[in-house]
Amino acid sequence: MSVQGAEILPDNLSELSDAEIMSLERAIVRKHSGMFPWIVVTWAFANVVCWLILWALVLTGLVPLWLGFLAATINLTLVYLPTHDAQHNVIARPGQKLRWLNELVGHATSWMIATPFNALRYTHFEHHKHANDAELDPDMSTHAAGPWSAIWKSVQGRQPTGRRVLDYVDTLQRLGRTDIVVLAGVYRLGFFTILFSLAWSGFALEGFFLWWLPLHLAATHQDFFLSWAPHNPNLSKGRYRDTRSWKSSVGNIFSMGMQYHTVHHLYPYIPLDRTPAAYREMRPLLLARGVETGGL
Amino acid sequence: MQPIGEILLKFLPLIFAVGFLVPVIDQGLLALGWQPPFAVSTFNFAFIVAGLWGLFASLKGRWV
Repeated sequence: MSVQGAEILPDNLSELSDAEIMSLERAIVRKHSGMFPWIVVTWAFANVVCWLILWALVLTGLVPLWLGFLAATINLTLVYLPTHDAQHNVIARPGQKLRWLNELVGHATSWMIATPFNALRYTHFEHHKHANDAELDPDMSTHAAGPWSAIWKSVQGRQPTGRRVLDYVDTLQRLGRTDIVVLAGVYRLGFFTILFSLAWSGFALEGFFLWWLPLHLAATHQDFFLSWAPHNPNLSKGRYRDTRSWKSSVGNIFSMGMQYHTVHHLYPYIPLDRTPAAYREMRPLLLARGVETGGL
Repeated sequence: MQPIGEILLKFLPLIFAVGFLVPVIDQGLLALGWQPPFAVSTFNFAFIVAGLWGLFASLKGRWV
Protein backbone atom coordinates (compact mmCIF):
# COMPACT_ATOMS: atom_id res chain seq x y z
CA MET A 1 0.00 0.00 0.00
CA SER A 2 1.15 3.59 -0.66
CA VAL A 3 -0.06 6.75 0.97
CA GLN A 4 -1.36 9.56 -1.25
CA GLY A 5 -2.41 12.48 0.94
CA ALA A 6 -4.80 11.12 3.50
CA GLU A 7 -5.94 8.31 1.26
CA ILE A 8 -4.41 4.85 1.08
CA LEU A 9 -4.09 3.53 -2.43
CA PRO A 10 -3.26 -0.09 -3.23
CA ASP A 11 0.15 -0.55 -4.87
CA ASN A 12 -1.24 -2.40 -7.82
CA LEU A 13 -4.24 -0.45 -9.00
CA SER A 14 -4.59 -2.58 -12.10
CA GLU A 15 -5.99 -5.35 -9.89
CA LEU A 16 -8.91 -3.17 -8.85
CA SER A 17 -12.27 -3.13 -10.54
CA ASP A 18 -13.77 -0.01 -12.11
CA ALA A 19 -16.11 0.31 -9.16
CA GLU A 20 -13.23 0.10 -6.66
CA ILE A 21 -11.21 2.76 -8.51
CA MET A 22 -14.31 4.95 -8.68
CA SER A 23 -14.77 4.55 -4.95
CA LEU A 24 -11.17 5.69 -4.34
CA GLU A 25 -11.67 8.64 -6.71
CA ARG A 26 -14.77 9.74 -4.84
CA ALA A 27 -13.03 9.51 -1.48
CA ILE A 28 -10.45 12.01 -2.77
CA VAL A 29 -13.15 14.22 -4.28
CA ARG A 30 -15.01 14.36 -0.95
CA LYS A 31 -11.87 15.80 0.67
CA HIS A 32 -11.68 18.62 -1.84
CA SER A 33 -15.30 19.62 -2.36
CA GLY A 34 -18.31 20.73 -0.36
CA MET A 35 -16.53 23.39 1.68
CA PHE A 36 -17.28 27.10 1.31
CA PRO A 37 -14.96 28.28 -1.50
CA TRP A 38 -14.00 31.59 0.08
CA ILE A 39 -11.12 32.10 -2.36
CA VAL A 40 -13.49 31.98 -5.33
CA VAL A 41 -16.02 34.32 -3.69
CA THR A 42 -13.38 36.83 -2.56
CA TRP A 43 -11.70 36.66 -5.95
CA ALA A 44 -14.98 37.36 -7.76
CA PHE A 45 -15.87 40.53 -5.88
CA ALA A 46 -12.26 41.75 -5.64
CA ASN A 47 -12.01 41.33 -9.40
CA VAL A 48 -15.12 43.43 -10.09
CA VAL A 49 -14.20 46.13 -7.55
CA CYS A 50 -10.60 46.39 -8.82
CA TRP A 51 -11.78 46.86 -12.39
CA LEU A 52 -14.34 49.53 -11.47
CA ILE A 53 -11.79 51.40 -9.33
CA LEU A 54 -9.36 51.16 -12.23
CA TRP A 55 -11.78 53.10 -14.43
CA ALA A 56 -12.00 55.85 -11.82
CA LEU A 57 -8.22 55.98 -11.43
CA VAL A 58 -7.61 56.21 -15.18
CA LEU A 59 -10.43 58.68 -15.89
CA THR A 60 -9.17 61.00 -13.14
CA GLY A 61 -5.61 60.74 -14.44
CA LEU A 62 -4.19 59.10 -11.32
CA VAL A 63 -3.16 56.02 -13.28
CA PRO A 64 -1.73 56.27 -16.83
CA LEU A 65 -3.70 54.57 -19.57
CA TRP A 66 -0.94 52.09 -20.43
CA LEU A 67 -0.87 50.84 -16.85
CA GLY A 68 -4.66 50.76 -16.77
CA PHE A 69 -4.62 48.67 -19.94
CA LEU A 70 -2.26 46.17 -18.36
CA ALA A 71 -4.34 45.94 -15.17
CA ALA A 72 -7.62 45.71 -17.12
CA THR A 73 -6.26 42.86 -19.25
CA ILE A 74 -5.30 40.92 -16.12
CA ASN A 75 -8.68 41.70 -14.57
CA LEU A 76 -10.73 40.61 -17.56
CA THR A 77 -8.62 37.49 -18.01
CA LEU A 78 -9.05 36.43 -14.40
CA VAL A 79 -12.74 37.25 -14.06
CA TYR A 80 -13.88 34.27 -16.11
CA LEU A 81 -12.65 31.86 -13.43
CA PRO A 82 -15.07 32.74 -10.60
CA THR A 83 -17.83 32.90 -13.23
CA HIS A 84 -16.81 29.43 -14.32
CA ASP A 85 -16.90 28.05 -10.77
CA ALA A 86 -20.35 29.59 -10.26
CA GLN A 87 -21.54 27.93 -13.47
CA HIS A 88 -20.66 24.62 -11.83
CA ASN A 89 -22.50 25.55 -8.61
CA VAL A 90 -19.26 25.36 -6.64
CA ILE A 91 -20.53 27.84 -4.03
CA ALA A 92 -24.00 26.33 -3.65
CA ARG A 93 -26.24 23.99 -5.61
CA PRO A 94 -29.95 24.69 -6.29
CA GLY A 95 -31.93 24.55 -3.04
CA GLN A 96 -28.95 25.19 -0.78
CA LYS A 97 -28.84 28.13 1.61
CA LEU A 98 -26.11 30.05 -0.21
CA ARG A 99 -27.56 29.52 -3.67
CA TRP A 100 -28.18 33.28 -3.96
CA LEU A 101 -24.46 33.90 -3.47
CA ASN A 102 -23.53 31.40 -6.18
CA GLU A 103 -25.84 33.17 -8.62
CA LEU A 104 -24.68 36.61 -7.49
CA VAL A 105 -21.04 35.68 -8.16
CA GLY A 106 -21.97 34.43 -11.62
CA HIS A 107 -24.03 37.48 -12.62
CA ALA A 108 -21.71 40.01 -10.96
CA THR A 109 -18.71 38.77 -12.92
CA SER A 110 -20.18 37.75 -16.29
CA TRP A 111 -21.37 41.27 -17.24
CA MET A 112 -17.72 42.32 -17.38
CA ILE A 113 -17.28 39.93 -20.28
CA ALA A 114 -20.48 41.28 -21.85
CA THR A 115 -22.22 37.90 -21.75
CA PRO A 116 -25.14 36.73 -19.59
CA PHE A 117 -24.20 34.24 -16.88
CA ASN A 118 -26.78 31.72 -18.08
CA ALA A 119 -25.50 31.88 -21.66
CA LEU A 120 -22.08 30.86 -20.33
CA ARG A 121 -23.57 28.26 -18.00
CA TYR A 122 -25.84 26.45 -20.47
CA THR A 123 -23.26 26.36 -23.25
CA HIS A 124 -20.52 25.27 -20.85
CA PHE A 125 -22.66 22.42 -19.54
CA GLU A 126 -23.09 21.29 -23.13
CA HIS A 127 -19.32 21.39 -23.56
CA HIS A 128 -18.90 19.12 -20.52
CA LYS A 129 -21.66 16.82 -21.68
CA HIS A 130 -20.42 16.52 -25.27
CA ALA A 131 -16.70 17.37 -25.06
CA ASN A 132 -14.96 16.80 -28.42
CA ASP A 133 -18.22 15.94 -30.17
CA ALA A 134 -18.00 17.72 -33.51
CA GLU A 135 -21.76 18.22 -33.67
CA LEU A 136 -22.66 19.06 -30.09
CA ASP A 137 -19.63 20.56 -28.31
CA PRO A 138 -20.01 24.36 -28.55
CA ASP A 139 -16.25 24.76 -28.07
CA MET A 140 -15.27 22.63 -31.05
CA SER A 141 -14.37 25.71 -33.08
CA THR A 142 -11.32 26.21 -30.84
CA HIS A 143 -9.76 22.94 -31.95
CA ALA A 144 -6.60 23.50 -33.97
CA ALA A 145 -3.47 21.67 -35.07
CA GLY A 146 -1.00 23.71 -33.01
CA PRO A 147 -0.67 26.64 -30.61
CA TRP A 148 -0.31 29.38 -33.26
CA SER A 149 -3.23 28.12 -35.28
CA ALA A 150 -5.22 27.91 -32.02
CA ILE A 151 -4.59 31.62 -31.42
CA TRP A 152 -5.49 32.45 -35.01
CA LYS A 153 -8.67 30.34 -34.83
CA SER A 154 -9.68 32.17 -31.69
CA VAL A 155 -9.34 35.50 -33.50
CA GLN A 156 -11.18 34.15 -36.54
CA GLY A 157 -13.95 32.76 -34.35
CA ARG A 158 -14.81 36.25 -33.13
CA GLN A 159 -15.14 37.81 -36.57
CA PRO A 160 -18.66 38.92 -37.62
CA THR A 161 -19.36 35.57 -39.29
CA GLY A 162 -16.99 33.55 -37.05
CA ARG A 163 -18.14 30.21 -35.62
CA ARG A 164 -17.33 30.90 -31.96
CA VAL A 165 -20.35 33.07 -31.20
CA LEU A 166 -22.62 31.34 -33.72
CA ASP A 167 -21.93 27.93 -32.13
CA TYR A 168 -23.07 29.30 -28.76
CA VAL A 169 -26.22 30.72 -30.36
CA ASP A 170 -26.92 27.39 -32.11
CA THR A 171 -26.39 25.49 -28.84
CA LEU A 172 -28.81 27.72 -26.91
CA GLN A 173 -31.39 27.42 -29.67
CA ARG A 174 -30.99 23.62 -29.69
CA LEU A 175 -31.66 23.69 -25.95
CA GLY A 176 -34.79 25.77 -26.56
CA ARG A 177 -33.31 28.78 -24.73
CA THR A 178 -34.00 31.48 -27.29
CA ASP A 179 -34.73 33.75 -24.31
CA ILE A 180 -31.03 33.58 -23.36
CA VAL A 181 -30.01 34.33 -26.95
CA VAL A 182 -32.17 37.46 -26.79
CA LEU A 183 -30.69 38.36 -23.40
CA ALA A 184 -27.19 37.93 -24.85
CA GLY A 185 -28.18 40.36 -27.59
CA VAL A 186 -29.33 42.85 -24.96
CA TYR A 187 -26.00 42.47 -23.11
CA ARG A 188 -24.10 43.12 -26.35
CA LEU A 189 -26.29 46.12 -27.11
CA GLY A 190 -25.57 47.48 -23.63
CA PHE A 191 -21.84 46.84 -24.05
CA PHE A 192 -21.67 48.70 -27.36
CA THR A 193 -23.92 51.51 -26.12
CA ILE A 194 -21.49 52.11 -23.24
CA LEU A 195 -18.48 51.95 -25.59
CA PHE A 196 -20.10 54.31 -28.13
CA SER A 197 -21.13 56.74 -25.36
CA LEU A 198 -17.63 56.78 -23.92
CA ALA A 199 -16.11 57.22 -27.36
CA TRP A 200 -18.28 60.19 -28.37
CA SER A 201 -17.78 61.81 -24.95
CA GLY A 202 -14.03 62.02 -25.47
CA PHE A 203 -13.10 58.76 -23.72
CA ALA A 204 -12.66 56.52 -26.76
CA LEU A 205 -9.14 55.44 -25.80
CA GLU A 206 -10.25 54.60 -22.27
CA GLY A 207 -13.09 52.46 -23.64
CA PHE A 208 -10.73 50.81 -26.07
CA PHE A 209 -7.86 50.11 -23.66
CA LEU A 210 -9.84 49.36 -20.49
CA TRP A 211 -12.58 47.17 -21.95
CA TRP A 212 -12.68 46.37 -25.65
CA LEU A 213 -9.08 45.31 -26.25
CA PRO A 214 -8.56 43.61 -22.84
CA LEU A 215 -11.76 41.65 -23.45
CA HIS A 216 -10.47 40.34 -26.76
CA LEU A 217 -7.05 39.51 -25.34
CA ALA A 218 -8.76 37.72 -22.45
CA ALA A 219 -10.99 35.80 -24.86
CA THR A 220 -7.95 34.64 -26.83
CA HIS A 221 -6.17 33.60 -23.65
CA GLN A 222 -9.28 31.80 -22.45
CA ASP A 223 -9.81 29.99 -25.76
CA PHE A 224 -6.19 28.90 -25.69
CA PHE A 225 -5.82 27.72 -22.09
CA LEU A 226 -9.34 26.70 -21.16
CA SER A 227 -10.38 25.19 -24.43
CA TRP A 228 -7.61 24.36 -26.86
CA ALA A 229 -4.78 23.23 -24.55
CA PRO A 230 -6.83 20.73 -22.50
CA HIS A 231 -8.84 19.51 -25.50
CA ASN A 232 -6.25 19.16 -28.23
CA PRO A 233 -7.38 17.49 -31.45
CA ASN A 234 -5.85 14.11 -30.63
CA LEU A 235 -8.37 13.53 -27.87
CA SER A 236 -11.40 11.40 -28.40
CA LYS A 237 -14.71 11.26 -26.58
CA GLY A 238 -15.46 9.64 -23.25
CA ARG A 239 -15.19 10.39 -19.54
CA TYR A 240 -11.46 9.65 -19.26
CA ARG A 241 -10.49 10.52 -22.84
CA ASP A 242 -11.99 13.89 -23.74
CA THR A 243 -9.51 16.04 -21.84
CA ARG A 244 -5.95 15.89 -20.65
CA SER A 245 -3.56 17.28 -18.08
CA TRP A 246 -0.32 18.85 -19.21
CA LYS A 247 2.75 20.60 -17.87
CA SER A 248 2.38 24.21 -18.95
CA SER A 249 5.59 25.95 -19.98
CA VAL A 250 4.18 29.26 -18.73
CA GLY A 251 3.25 27.93 -15.28
CA ASN A 252 0.00 27.14 -13.55
CA ILE A 253 -1.08 30.71 -12.81
CA PHE A 254 -0.58 32.03 -16.35
CA SER A 255 -2.40 28.98 -17.71
CA MET A 256 -5.24 29.72 -15.23
CA GLY A 257 -4.95 26.43 -13.35
CA MET A 258 -5.96 24.47 -16.44
CA GLN A 259 -3.06 22.03 -16.20
CA TYR A 260 -5.38 19.94 -14.04
CA HIS A 261 -8.30 20.06 -16.43
CA THR A 262 -8.84 16.30 -16.26
CA VAL A 263 -9.97 16.54 -12.66
CA HIS A 264 -12.19 19.50 -13.50
CA HIS A 265 -14.01 17.56 -16.22
CA LEU A 266 -14.42 14.52 -14.03
CA TYR A 267 -15.52 16.43 -10.93
CA PRO A 268 -16.43 20.01 -11.91
CA TYR A 269 -17.80 20.84 -8.45
CA ILE A 270 -14.27 20.90 -6.97
CA PRO A 271 -13.29 24.58 -6.54
CA LEU A 272 -10.51 25.76 -8.87
CA ASP A 273 -8.05 26.36 -6.03
CA ARG A 274 -8.49 22.76 -4.78
CA THR A 275 -8.08 21.13 -8.18
CA PRO A 276 -4.26 20.82 -8.09
CA ALA A 277 -4.29 19.00 -4.73
CA ALA A 278 -7.12 16.74 -5.86
CA TYR A 279 -5.17 15.99 -9.06
CA ARG A 280 -1.98 15.06 -7.20
CA GLU A 281 -3.85 12.63 -5.00
CA MET A 282 -5.87 11.22 -7.86
CA ARG A 283 -2.99 10.92 -10.31
CA PRO A 284 -2.27 7.17 -9.77
CA LEU A 285 -5.96 6.45 -10.31
CA LEU A 286 -6.02 8.57 -13.45
CA LEU A 287 -2.99 6.72 -14.78
CA ALA A 288 -4.72 3.45 -14.05
CA ARG A 289 -7.65 4.75 -16.11
CA GLY A 290 -5.32 5.57 -19.00
CA VAL A 291 -5.78 9.34 -18.73
CA GLU A 292 -3.21 11.47 -20.58
CA THR A 293 -1.30 13.26 -17.82
CA GLY A 294 1.25 15.00 -20.05
CA GLY A 295 4.11 14.57 -17.60
CA LEU A 296 2.29 16.43 -14.86
CA MET B 1 -35.50 40.41 -50.49
CA GLN B 2 -33.66 40.26 -47.17
CA PRO B 3 -35.60 41.08 -43.99
CA ILE B 4 -34.52 44.36 -42.39
CA GLY B 5 -33.13 42.50 -39.33
CA GLU B 6 -30.71 40.53 -41.51
CA ILE B 7 -29.56 43.69 -43.29
CA LEU B 8 -29.01 45.38 -39.93
CA LEU B 9 -27.01 42.39 -38.64
CA LYS B 10 -24.91 42.36 -41.79
CA PHE B 11 -24.00 46.01 -41.35
CA LEU B 12 -23.28 45.83 -37.59
CA PRO B 13 -19.53 46.07 -38.27
CA LEU B 14 -20.09 49.35 -40.13
CA ILE B 15 -22.14 50.66 -37.19
CA PHE B 16 -19.33 49.59 -34.83
CA ALA B 17 -16.77 51.31 -37.05
CA VAL B 18 -18.64 54.60 -37.08
CA GLY B 19 -19.77 54.41 -33.46
CA PHE B 20 -16.48 53.34 -31.92
CA LEU B 21 -13.53 53.07 -34.27
CA VAL B 22 -13.88 56.59 -35.69
CA PRO B 23 -13.47 58.28 -32.28
CA VAL B 24 -10.80 55.73 -31.23
CA ILE B 25 -8.66 56.48 -34.29
CA ASP B 26 -9.38 60.22 -34.10
CA GLN B 27 -8.48 60.49 -30.40
CA GLY B 28 -5.55 58.12 -30.86
CA LEU B 29 -4.07 60.32 -33.59
CA LEU B 30 -4.55 63.42 -31.45
CA ALA B 31 -2.88 61.70 -28.48
CA LEU B 32 0.07 60.71 -30.66
CA GLY B 33 0.24 64.19 -32.21
CA TRP B 34 0.21 62.68 -35.70
CA GLN B 35 -1.16 64.82 -38.53
CA PRO B 36 -2.71 63.00 -41.52
CA PRO B 37 -1.38 63.92 -44.99
CA PHE B 38 -2.98 66.42 -47.42
CA ALA B 39 -4.21 68.59 -44.55
CA VAL B 40 -7.02 66.13 -43.81
CA SER B 41 -8.31 66.54 -40.26
CA THR B 42 -7.79 63.66 -37.82
CA PHE B 43 -11.56 63.17 -37.63
CA ASN B 44 -12.02 62.96 -41.39
CA PHE B 45 -9.02 60.63 -41.67
CA ALA B 46 -10.48 58.41 -38.92
CA PHE B 47 -13.86 58.45 -40.65
CA ILE B 48 -12.37 57.33 -43.97
CA VAL B 49 -10.18 54.58 -42.46
CA ALA B 50 -12.79 53.22 -40.03
CA GLY B 51 -15.60 53.58 -42.56
CA LEU B 52 -13.77 51.62 -45.24
CA TRP B 53 -12.68 48.98 -42.75
CA GLY B 54 -16.20 48.65 -41.37
CA LEU B 55 -17.61 48.37 -44.88
CA PHE B 56 -15.06 45.66 -45.69
CA ALA B 57 -15.99 43.78 -42.49
CA SER B 58 -19.70 44.07 -43.28
CA LEU B 59 -19.32 42.75 -46.80
CA LYS B 60 -16.69 40.07 -46.10
CA GLY B 61 -17.84 39.00 -42.63
CA ARG B 62 -14.38 39.48 -41.12
CA TRP B 63 -12.20 42.32 -39.92
CA VAL B 64 -8.92 40.53 -40.62
